[in-house]
Amino acid sequence: MKKIALLITLAVGALLILAAEDFPRWGDAHAPANDYLSPYYIEKSLEETAVPNIVTAVLADYRGYDTMFETTVIFCAGITVLTLLRRTQRKAPKAVRPRPARQGADVILQSASRLLVPVMQIFALYVLALGHHSPGGGFQAGVILGASFILLALSYDLKTMLARLSENTLLRLSALGVIIYAGIGALCLLLGDNFLAYAALKVFGFSEVMAHSHGILGVELGVAVTVMAIMFSLYVDLASGGDLDEGL
Amino acid sequence: MLNIVVMGLMLLGLFFFFGTSVGIVRFPDFYSRLHAAGKGDTLSSILLLAGLALYNLHHLSVDAILVSVKILFIIVFIFIASPTATHAIMDAGYEARVKHWVKRKTPKEPWPGEERRRQERHP
Amino acid sequence: MNWDASLLWQFDVLIITMVILCAVAALTVRDLVSCAIIGGAYSFLMCLLWTEMLAVDVAFTEAAVGAGVSTVLLLGTALHIKRKSKD
Repeated sequence: MKKIALLITLAVGALLILAAEDFPRWGDAHAPANDYLSPYYIEKSLEETAVPNIVTAVLADYRGYDTMFETTVIFCAGITVLTLLRRTQRKAPKAVRPRPARQGADVILQSASRLLVPVMQIFALYVLALGHHSPGGGFQAGVILGASFILLALSYDLKTMLARLSENTLLRLSALGVIIYAGIGALCLLLGDNFLAYAALKVFGFSEVMAHSHGILGVELGVAVTVMAIMFSLYVDLASGGDLDEGL
Repeated sequence: MLNIVVMGLMLLGLFFFFGTSVGIVRFPDFYSRLHAAGKGDTLSSILLLAGLALYNLHHLSVDAILVSVKILFIIVFIFIASPTATHAIMDAGYEARVKHWVKRKTPKEPWPGEERRRQERHP
Repeated sequence: MNWDASLLWQFDVLIITMVILCAVAALTVRDLVSCAIIGGAYSFLMCLLWTEMLAVDVAFTEAAVGAGVSTVLLLGTALHIKRKSKD
């Protein structure tokens, strides 16, 4: 059976490699993907949105729907893990042997993470705010923020971390991010334009171009909040097996 | 002149990286391997990054200095994080009772300090 | 195949070889914890590959999500299920 599977895999792989020969050359200016929309983005995105980083402009403005539903997918994934793991009756005892409680916590780890975590969080905010100009944006910022909380939970204890950032807060934050995103879209709708057409935000006193820019920033903030909360709650649930008693 | 300094730093960094790799492959047990990895890795990364930061100052401008300062920040973080990570892995290995290497094989007789230290830790 | 467009084709070949090695190793290793660590290494190599193809945004995401958080999540999960896989 395994040999048949290997044969099939090899055959499909060979087919894929053969097909890859027909791809347009790497960096080809006349490839179909570069022919229709890309020149428009490259020429117009700076003057339409005042965002030098084309990736951010495309991600959060031209393709705002995509990013909104990506955020929703992340939210749904987090909620799914939560509902699957929390408060289920365990048939077998936990596979992880409970560690003997340390006599005195690990001072080196804790002080190093005390040094690192504030810098990580500031860096995450920097990444979020500078997504307009350099690689970065809401998603990366949210992941870095979540990673800083995970680092704290690793070096201290899951319980001390959850005492500061409880599960309820996490859930509310993860919903809040999606609400921020969809709320900005709905605000545009209320102001008489299309859903997520940031040009409608110019009633707050911006020019139309700056309205696009600020709309992108607000949307990225929503993405960051959701991703941060979901990443940490995923860690909390997966590492403790849903009991929220002890992490890794 | 600057090029010579940069090349010196990077060659030194590569030398220490080589030493680290040899140490990881050749040392006999978990603890001594991590000893090689933790120290050599930190030092060689710092040397390599310092070389890069200097090399970046060829065309002196505000942007170049900014990039160099960012590289210096990375050096600081590696200097904090890498030894801490090594310490954490070491500690986890000690908690999991990974056997250490002894020169003469005397399987019956435990390491004299071992039990005492464990007693101190979990009385 | 043409390599002229990329920065240095030697780097390409080196990184792709290591990516394939990591993928094969992650499939053959039985211990799930080692598998998670090798997955982290794989993500990091993919991040290098993206950087080298000048897709820095993708590389940043891959470094943060793939090599950072998902390794921790996989480790946390692997500790709660049976550690040795059967095949």
